[in-house]
Amino acid sequence: MIEEPYRWVEAIANRAEYIETQLAPGSPIVALGYRDGILFLTLGRTRQKLFEIYDRIAMGAIGHPGDIERLRMAAIELASTEGFTRSAADVSLRRLAHYSLSPVLKTAFEQVYGAPFLARLLFAEIGAKQENDLFLRLEYDGAIATNNSTFAKTRQDFGALSGTRQSTELMDGFLTAEHSAGATFERALKLGLDAWTVGHLALGDAGVKELPARDKILAERKERLRAAGIEAAILERDDKIAVRYRALAEAEIRSVLGD
Amino acid sequence: MEPAALTLGQNSSGAGDDFPALLRRRGLLAPVPTQAAPAPCATNAAWVPTQATTILAFKFQGGVLVAGDRRATAGNTVVFDRADKVLEIDRHSIMAIAGVPATAWEMARVLEHSFQFFRRTQLQEMSVDGKVRALSKLLRDNFGFVLQGIGVVVPIFATYDASADPSARLYFYDAMGAQFEVTDYAATGSGSPAVRGILHYENNWGKKPLLKLSEDEAVTVALRALDTAAEADTATGGVDRNAKIFPVIKIVSREGISTLPEKRIAALFKRSVA
Repeated sequence: MIEEPYRWVEAIANRAEYIETQLAPGSPIVALGYRDGILFLTLGRTRQKLFEIYDRIAMGAIGHPGDIERLRMAAIELASTEGFTRSAADVSLRRLAHYSLSPVLKTAFEQVYGAPFLARLLFAEIGAKQENDLFLRLEYDGAIATNNSTFAKTRQDFGALSGTRQSTELMDGFLTAEHSAGATFERALKLGLDAWTVGHLALGDAGVKELPARDKILAERKERLRAAGIEAAILERDDKIAVRYRALAEAEIRSVLGD
Repeated sequence: MEPAALTLGQNSSGAGDDFPALLRRRGLLAPVPTQAAPAPCATNAAWVPTQATTILAFKFQGGVLVAGDRRATAGNTVVFDRADKVLEIDRHSIMAIAGVPATAWEMARVLEHSFQFFRRTQLQEMSVDGKVRALSKLLRDNFGFVLQGIGVVVPIFATYDASADPSARLYFYDAMGAQFEVTDYAATGSGSPAVRGILHYENNWGKKPLLKLSEDEAVTVALRALDTAAEADTATGGVDRNAKIFPVIKIVSREGISTLPEKRIAALFKRSVA
C-alpha cells in the first residue's frame, strides 16, 4: 500500500508527527559563542546530553538514548578516522553534517519500513576566529538548520535546540535580541540559562507562546536552578592546545553564578 | 521483511572495539601479519636489531624527565639531525622511541588517537594500565614485521596519574610488547648501555638519588648521559656543539607535559656540561 505515492506521503507525515511527540519533552540545549570560546549548556542531569565529538567539535542531543548513541558513535568514528588519516585540521563540522550525518538521517526517516532516528542534534565547531565558528542543528529528517534562517543570513554566534519547534523559535528570538558575540563567560553563562528558561517555559501544552517578561524568566530560572543540575561544557579558543573540549564541573559554574 | 539479526559481538558503543580495530576495519592500518609466515628473504638470518638512538627517562622530584637525542640514521649515514623522538601522546603521557621512525611515529599516532577515541566514545579517561597495555598490544601486533626484519620499535612510556601512588609512572618495553615498570630509570636504543651505567651510578653513589634531584640537576644528568652515549655510539647525536642542536627534553608532572625551551637547555649545558 505504501507503494502508492499518496500513502507514502501520509506515512511520512504520520511518522513526523510521531517523532515530534516523542521529542517534545526534551530539555532545551543552548550553545553560545563568547569572547574566549563556545559554551554549551543544559539543565537536568538524568543523563549526559553534551558530548565531545572531536578536537574542535561538540554536540548536544535530545531524543532516544539509543539513537543518540548510534549517531554520536558514527560522528566520532568519522571524525577520528579523518583526523587520523589526514589531520585534525581536515575534520570539519560542515562536511560531517552535510555529507555524512544528514543523508543517513534522511534515508532512515524516509524508509517507512525501518526505524527512524528519534533524535535532534545541535553541533558547534570552534574556529580560529569568532567569525569562523559554526553552529548547526540537525533534525531527525536530515534537515540542517542554522538559527532558523537561510545559510547566507545566519548569525553564527549561537545555536539553540529544544523539544518543540515553538520552543526553539522562542529561544532563537530571545538570543538574537540579547546575545552579543563579545560577551564574557559570566554574561554568556547567565544569558544561556535565561535562554534555557525561555525554551523550558515554552514546552508542553501549557507552554508560553510569546516571550515571557524578564522577571518571569528570572524567577523561573532561580526555581529551576535550585531543583536541577547544570550540565555545561566549553570549546576553548586557544590554538596552543589541540583538544578544545572541556566539561565544566557543576561547582565551577555555580561559583561563577554566585548562588 | 526479515528483521536484522542482533549479535552481541556487535557493539556500537565501541567498548569491545578499540581504535586500531576500527582503522583495520576501514583498511587504514596494516593488518596484523601472521607470525607463522617467516620472511622470504634470506637476509633474515643475518638481521641485527638496529635501534640506533639513545632515549632515557628517569623519575626526579618534579615528575618524570624524558630525553632523546636528535639523530636519525640509516646504516652508517646520518639522515637527519633534528628528529624528535620524544612524543606527546596526551596531556599526561609521553612516548619516547628507539627504532624505525616510520613505524614508531605511526604507532604514536595510533596511540594518541586511541586514547582520545576511548575518552570520547566511553565518556571516561583510559586508565594508566589501559594505556600501558594499548602500547603493548601495538608492539605485539607489529612483531610480525619485526620478524621480517622491518619496523622494530622499542619505546619508553612515561605518564603521570595524580590519583595513583606513585603518581609518576615509567615503563620500558621490548620489541615483542612485554612491558616493564621501573622504579627509577629506563634507557633504550644503541647508546643505552652507557646511559644505564651512568644512571645506575648516579642513583646509587651520586650526590643524591635520582628521585631527589631538582629540575636543573635532572637536566644536567640527562645532558651528561646523552653526551657520554654519543661519545662511543655513532648513531647517537648527543649535543651538537657546532650546529647548536640540543636533545629534546620533556617533563611530565601533575600539571601536564612541559617541553624545555632550547635556550634553557643551552644555558644549563654551558654551565654544567660543556
